[in-house]
Amino acid sequence: MKKEKILVIGGVAAGTKTAAKIMRENPAAEAVIVTRDEHISYAGCGLPYYIGGVIEEERELVVKTPEEFTLATGVDVFVKHEAKTVDMDKKEALVVNNETGEEKVFPFDKLVFATGAAPFVPPIKGVELENVYSLRRVTDALNIRKLVDDGEINDAVVIGGGFIGLEVAENLKERGINVSIIELIPHILPPFDEEMALLAQRHMVEKGVDIFGAERAQAIEGETKVTGVKTDRRILKADLVIVSVGVRPSVALAKSIGVEIGETGAIKVNDMMETNLKDVYAVGDCAETTNLITGKTAWYPMGSTANKMGRIAGINIGAENEKDSLSGVLGTTVVKLFGVNAARTGLSERDAVKLGYEVESVIVPANDRAHYFPGYRSIVTKLVAEKETGRLLGAQIVGEGVVDKPIDIMATAITFGAKVDDLEKLDLAYAPPFSSAMASTIVSANVLRNIYKGKLKTINPRILKERLGEVLVLDVRDEASHFIRSIPGSVNIYSAEIEMEADKLDKKKETVVVCKVGKEAYLTSLKLKAMGFEDVKILEGGMEAYPYETE
Amino acid sequence: MSEIKLNLKGMQCPGPIMEVFKASKKAESGDVIVATVSDRGFEKDIQAWAKKTGNEILDMDVTETEITAKIKMK
Repeated sequence: MKKEKILVIGGVAAGTKTAAKIMRENPAAEAVIVTRDEHISYAGCGLPYYIGGVIEEERELVVKTPEEFTLATGVDVFVKHEAKTVDMDKKEALVVNNETGEEKVFPFDKLVFATGAAPFVPPIKGVELENVYSLRRVTDALNIRKLVDDGEINDAVVIGGGFIGLEVAENLKERGINVSIIELIPHILPPFDEEMALLAQRHMVEKGVDIFGAERAQAIEGETKVTGVKTDRRILKADLVIVSVGVRPSVALAKSIGVEIGETGAIKVNDMMETNLKDVYAVGDCAETTNLITGKTAWYPMGSTANKMGRIAGINIGAENEKDSLSGVLGTTVVKLFGVNAARTGLSERDAVKLGYEVESVIVPANDRAHYFPGYRSIVTKLVAEKETGRLLGAQIVGEGVVDKPIDIMATAITFGAKVDDLEKLDLAYAPPFSSAMASTIVSANVLRNIYKGKLKTINPRILKERLGEVLVLDVRDEASHFIRSIPGSVNIYSAEIEMEADKLDKKKETVVVCKVGKEAYLTSLKLKAMGFEDVKILEGGMEAYPYETE
Repeated sequence: MSEIKLNLKGMQCPGPIMEVFKASKKAESGDVIVATVSDRGFEKDIQAWAKKTGNEILDMDVTETEITAKIKMK
């Protein structure tokens, strides 16, 4: 057992995990955590739910207090202590107690950066005003919750439509506050493809959240307290503003001692969490990782990844005859928004194309359980695969039903290099309360395989929306369904009457067949082809997955 | 004025809305259609339908497994 001193800077997910794992592997070690924060090991991802009151008590947010953590792990913890400088020749760090101003020197044999990430605050006017927050620390959540509890907030504006922004929006709305979201790109959930993100967006709008896509916040207005947000299109009233446009890795101290920073802006580490400097490691949101699919460096500031990195650094530092490594991650994420769930893993179609992949993709709605089992809900799955090889590149799932199970299946499959036909043949658990005999995962793979085999041609809703004037949109649902909601300019012929009625249409014209989810359109397209229609496609996902303007 | 009860449980979309559609054609002004449905798509469908036709939803009871809508014909 080596009697090593290990200094860990930062104590949320990755820092505490690293230090605890070191002590488990090597009880003779002396692991110390210093952190600026007054809390360690807190549930950063739980903060929006504390604001909403779903998590009632402050103490529930803190996984362990510093005292409990020390007792459980043997790691010494110094909260409200900030590492100011590091001397790599002497191997010591100068640490300041932020409450007393007292300075202390911490010698170390090994140093771990777990400095996390900080909210990026855009340089716009008024961000310093009262009641303008970003949500990263427990104290932010406490302050916001108090304002809401005291009844001081009527209108809130959330700048940024990413995971945290959306969760805050949901929780504020549930507290009876008017909520608007401003997002720079045309839709919320930036890591998703547009047409999938818009499905979730439509749901949030139905729940009464105003969402302004493709809009830029220009200034936050007010004298001392915020009164509104000015965008390039309008002024929104606000007595609370949440700035949630993303986070940036906190790397200043590491950089100052010559630790190499990667192209993502985070600390460059190898798969063993080692930086370019001997005996210096980096883990969690301040460190880079690798995208498993592309093999390229990537940066995913996620609690799930941070914990894995911490464990691996802990083994590599603490264990005597063992080394471990993390080959990469897929950026798997899941979010719940007013009863709609959205999950993704791997590459979106947009990212895959940007990276130079030629892809096939498909959108398939299905139920999460047997359709006759009470309580079933629908989900919409999008699969993205490499055109030539059929290798799965990514998946996105949005809907009221269970999405975390299928996305975890996809993440597992992608990790092991599965192709679409592997996915098709998975033996998945089935009984009516849990799944369908043909699980959504398998059905979506079936449809994508049909596309590969040339059995059907499909069109993505995003593409159809752009080409509405050029094609004949033939809606084969019943009259009532068409009457309720249909694509502008669509012609309605009920599928049962297609053989009698379709002769009056132009068979040479590119025809897009639309039904509820895609199946009826597929069957109808076969009939149309037999009748001599030359160019028939079906709308992927049908009306269920069509998120654009309808009449 | 009469109440028209429709038990449409177990029927898949678009079955329920088609049945309501059919019933509404036969119904007279002031009649109330009470439809009980297990298909989840019905909630949105019936709201959109009522909005477009001008018929009035008097009550909508949504439970975990069932939706019951009362619609008054205009």
